[in-house]
Amino acid sequence: MFIWNSCDVVVVDVRREVEEIVGARWVVEGEDAALFGFDAFTAVKGRPRLVALPADEEQTVRLIALLYRSCTPMVFRGSGTSLSGSTVALTGEEVVVSLTRLNRVYSCEGLEIEVGPGLANVLVTRHAPHDLFYAPDPSSYTVCSIGGNVSHDSGGIHVPKYGSTFNSVVKLRVALCDGSVEDVGGTPYFNGANIFVGSEGSLGAVLRATLRLHPRPETSRTVLGAFQDVASTARAVSAVYEEGVIPAAVEMMDRNSIDVVEKSRYKAGYPDCAALLLVECDGYTPQVEEEVRRVRLVFERLGGKVMVPENPAENSRLWLGRKGAFPAMGVVSPAYLTLDSIVPRTELASVLEEVGRIAERYGVMVANVFHAADGNLHPLIPYNPESPKSLENALRAGWEIVEASMKRGGVPSGEHGVGIEKARFMHQYYSQSELEVLWRIKRAFDPDRLLNPYKMLYENPPETGDRVVSLLYTKPWEAE
Amino acid sequence: MADLKLAQQLSLKCVHCGFCLEVCPTYRATRSEVHSPRGRIAAVVSGALTSSGIETCVYCRKCEEACPSGVEFGEIMSAARRPSLEQIMVHRILEDPLRLYNAARLAKMGLPLQVARRVAQITPEPTLPPEYSDPDPELILFAGCIAPVFFTSTVLRALGFLRQRYRVRLINACCGLAHYAEGERERALTVAQRLGDAAQGKPIVSLPSNCSSHMKAFRQLGVEVEVYDFPEFVELMRLPLPKKQLGLTVHEPCHARLAGLNRYVHSALERMGVQVVEMADPTLECGAGGGYIFEQPELSDEIMEAKKKEVAATGCDTVVSTNFACSLALMRMGFTPIHLADLL
Repeated sequence: MFIWNSCDVVVVDVRREVEEIVGARWVVEGEDAALFGFDAFTAVKGRPRLVALPADEEQTVRLIALLYRSCTPMVFRGSGTSLSGSTVALTGEEVVVSLTRLNRVYSCEGLEIEVGPGLANVLVTRHAPHDLFYAPDPSSYTVCSIGGNVSHDSGGIHVPKYGSTFNSVVKLRVALCDGSVEDVGGTPYFNGANIFVGSEGSLGAVLRATLRLHPRPETSRTVLGAFQDVASTARAVSAVYEEGVIPAAVEMMDRNSIDVVEKSRYKAGYPDCAALLLVECDGYTPQVEEEVRRVRLVFERLGGKVMVPENPAENSRLWLGRKGAFPAMGVVSPAYLTLDSIVPRTELASVLEEVGRIAERYGVMVANVFHAADGNLHPLIPYNPESPKSLENALRAGWEIVEASMKRGGVPSGEHGVGIEKARFMHQYYSQSELEVLWRIKRAFDPDRLLNPYKMLYENPPETGDRVVSLLYTKPWEAE
Repeated sequence: MADLKLAQQLSLKCVHCGFCLEVCPTYRATRSEVHSPRGRIAAVVSGALTSSGIETCVYCRKCEEACPSGVEFGEIMSAARRPSLEQIMVHRILEDPLRLYNAARLAKMGLPLQVARRVAQITPEPTLPPEYSDPDPELILFAGCIAPVFFTSTVLRALGFLRQRYRVRLINACCGLAHYAEGERERALTVAQRLGDAAQGKPIVSLPSNCSSHMKAFRQLGVEVEVYDFPEFVELMRLPLPKKQLGLTVHEPCHARLAGLNRYVHSALERMGVQVVEMADPTLECGAGGGYIFEQPELSDEIMEAKKKEVAATGCDTVVSTNFACSLALMRMGFTPIHLADLL
């Protein structure tokens, strides 16, 4: 797996050689290339030098080798739904390697399915046998692709019981910068697949993923708890576990996020409350019934109003509201930031209070809608894209929320990736020696630092002339 | 450039979440942002109207259903697009079925134009559009532009069926959907007004369901007409239907779906006792898109390829299609499209 060669071969005409590999139809340049220059992180847009859409693994491998050999920085991109900006072509020098056409299902055997990185998350379950399902389900599951899920270690609402993408990756086939292909993982020792999960395209490209499927639960029930104050809502999250229930999902929505959803097409008819919890229990029917009974008791004890949807339509309406909360922000503002720091469950109440104070201080609205069981905050902060000041306030408020989480024993990113959004926190969260370890791994795979440059790990901030980018890359202790 | 401004204004709602990608037929065919709703919106915002993706949109508006932020994508495309000379020519031909008949005959004779060659490949033999009116008609049967020339027997069946109960006048004309979709907005309005005038306040029963959907939205253009899609009329009036022993599948045209019209097709077929084998996704785009099938041969063929697999998986050869452009596409895929009226 060690790579010795370094880019030293002069390739005269990269564009022509790229075209030779993928064919003229699959090269995008000029103004159209800018359409691949951004993702769901709204604060920064880039413009790649060129975009190539290889048809298969063989073309992808040749393309990566060519680009590396010719000292061309590259960004691997799937559906472009990253919330941390990890697929943004920051400098304009990058070639975007779009893996969207690698969307085949190769095999499905036992509890494993082997798919291409361009396949949308939702299609994994659709291609699985009827009694099985693929568990990780980020809110964007209808469109986000498996390559991106692996590269961000994407989570979703079912993390409490089934884990994030990390727990569902069995093996990976990866393309490395020297044109070699490795099948990694599937072993209890030196598991190379683990290094690639969450690596955000900074080590190589995922060509194929073998994913673990789970038996479909016999029953799945939802319990909604509506509370009159945030502290009791937060308290109820831990109380569910204390009752001996391992929920499949525990989602929390505060008043702001409920208001946004109710104004959007995802209108769910949630009860009037300060905050609510949506709990999903799944498994064998008798067990689920007992869990629902216990969750109901816990909620009532803490003063919550309980609602258990009695039919599938009502059930899916409640969940659609939650799943639509992110993009529904569009009804409030055409742009928003969303961070994903984690706090211990016991700190939820205190951190949410702090979030309120931060929002007030910066004069921003913060809507909290998040994975409460894993303490994975998602403060949605709308801003006016026409106003640099509004964006800056949103950014600073977001950073303070991340810092408040870290102070309470949390981590900067739970599931959206570090990307460019949280690159500044790497230095704050990790010690110098921990960073050294990460850099050693990075250098082993990418000696010339051409794979997704400036994402996650960087030495010097990128010089793009963009004020937002320089803000994002200002180390916290250097600010002001 | 007031229209571009409008398009840009409407585009501001987009938060680039990408939820529109996997429902877009051209994105599914190309897997490229250039041919995706999100990419098109970005091109409009930056003023890059020469981006090839602006032209390749089928205008099925499926992305609007997937969009959580309520972006009016159809309006954005309609406002941003500049029709080409060829498109304007096609629109003028569609406005008058007699003109379409003559143009189709020229195409079949080998007129050396790319679009004509495509027309010759795709369409069946043209027939002179039929004309009919009862004295003092109480109802308009609107046959659209394609049906009177290429699906004449369907038009005659529908006419015969309605005449059992009503005094009917047949109108062969264009609804202006193609104009509107391809950026000829003012002409679309003229066409709508002309149709409104011709109807003289009488209720219109429309055979092509995507046209029905467009005409139902005439009010937004300031034109008042009372429009029913043919199956909708049949169901609302509970007109008696024959029993049929048939197995078939149903294609759900894109705009008919937007207007919620496809359920009437299903309920009519149910009343007739027809066995419907459902496709996994009956709303999957067919690749016709009005003039699209003629103007974008490569992409429309790719979209048809995906649809063909979807239909073939049902094992049915007969496909109910209430929209005639879709029927042309289904014929090209090798299936036998029929309109509900063909079963009467």
